[in-house]
Amino acid sequence: MASPEIQTAVQEAVVGALGVGEDEATPDATLMDDLGAESIDLLDILFRIERSTGVKIQASDLGDYIQGGMSEEEFGDGSGNVSRKGLEHLSRVMPQIDADEYEGKLEAEKVISHFTVQNLADMVAERAGAAAG
Amino acid sequence: MNLEGKVALVTGGSRGIGRAIAEALAAEGAAVAVNYRSSKGGADEVVAAITAAGGKAVAVPGDVASWDDAQAMVQQTIDELGGLHILVNNAGISKDALIFNMDPNDWLDVMRTNFGGVFNCTKAAIGHFMGERDGAIVNISSVMGERGWIGESNYSASKGAVNAFTRCCAMELARFGVRVNAVLPGFVPTELVEGLVEKDGGKGILRQLPMKSFGDVSDVARLVCFLAGPDSKYMTGSFVTVDGGAAAMLGTGAPL
Repeated sequence: MASPEIQTAVQEAVVGALGVGEDEATPDATLMDDLGAESIDLLDILFRIERSTGVKIQASDLGDYIQGGMSEEEFGDGSGNVSRKGLEHLSRVMPQIDADEYEGKLEAEKVISHFTVQNLADMVAERAGAAAG
Repeated sequence: MNLEGKVALVTGGSRGIGRAIAEALAAEGAAVAVNYRSSKGGADEVVAAITAAGGKAVAVPGDVASWDDAQAMVQQTIDELGGLHILVNNAGISKDALIFNMDPNDWLDVMRTNFGGVFNCTKAAIGHFMGERDGAIVNISSVMGERGWIGESNYSASKGAVNAFTRCCAMELARFGVRVNAVLPGFVPTELVEGLVEKDGGKGILRQLPMKSFGDVSDVARLVCFLAGPDSKYMTGSFVTVDGGAAAMLGTGAPL
């Protein structure tokens, strides 16, 4: 669970980079689908977070975090959807995704569009903890 | 002094326009990394001149055409001068020839240094600028990037690429508080263009210039200081010519 400081830093980064209101950048809002973030926006968000929290996250880390370091073959089920193993990992880093509900229904390429402000805050908290530990 | 507390890296700073830029930035208060590829003696002289005038400077070796060198130059600047706020992409070469006679390596070499150098040094520096949300990049292009000149197809194309890159780079970096502008000098006598003026002392060219005179390296350097400093804080993606009117001219027209 992200500390209030990290929660605030992530929300401020999202608001600042995307020019959306604080009432829009809620924990459940998805960065790409709900808030319309493009790749350059994500870069801006990550640089803002680094500046305010000191936690450095590369844009490429985001994909690795979501995929849990699994290979494409492991994360996918061969038909373009996320595998059972992939879903079990997702239910930890993106808890709003229920593994049973999404089995065979979640395209691997579309996972990023489900990534929320809260998921990003949790990622930053994890990295901050890893750096501190 | 407008640039007090800032650190600048000037590529190709050991001679010509680059030297004038390095000295002018230092006179405005910036600490300057003077990059050179082959002319260590020249870079040391520039550093000595800046230091003697009360400024701060270091010589930084590296070939801008090399990605590894570009990264090392930026890192050395940050390590030795404590930061980086201004990047002046000045390093350039020319290998003039008619296209019919041109060795294909001559356009590749010119492109690798003149455009590749801008790309490499920009890419090496922007992570730092974006993190700090502060930075100014000044690309030393040329009026040749916008207009044609017989014998300079490779040089002209490389500067045209710099101009196109300047626009895109300005767009990508604006939101990060980083400004990117280009200076387009006309004819400024330095070693680089001596071939153009050696035949007749440049009279043939002077006849074609509205101001009937060549520029001086200080004309370019003063413009760079402006684009690197706070007075141009709302400028990005701009091209500014400093060319005695050359690029504005279609022809001298029929005298009235």
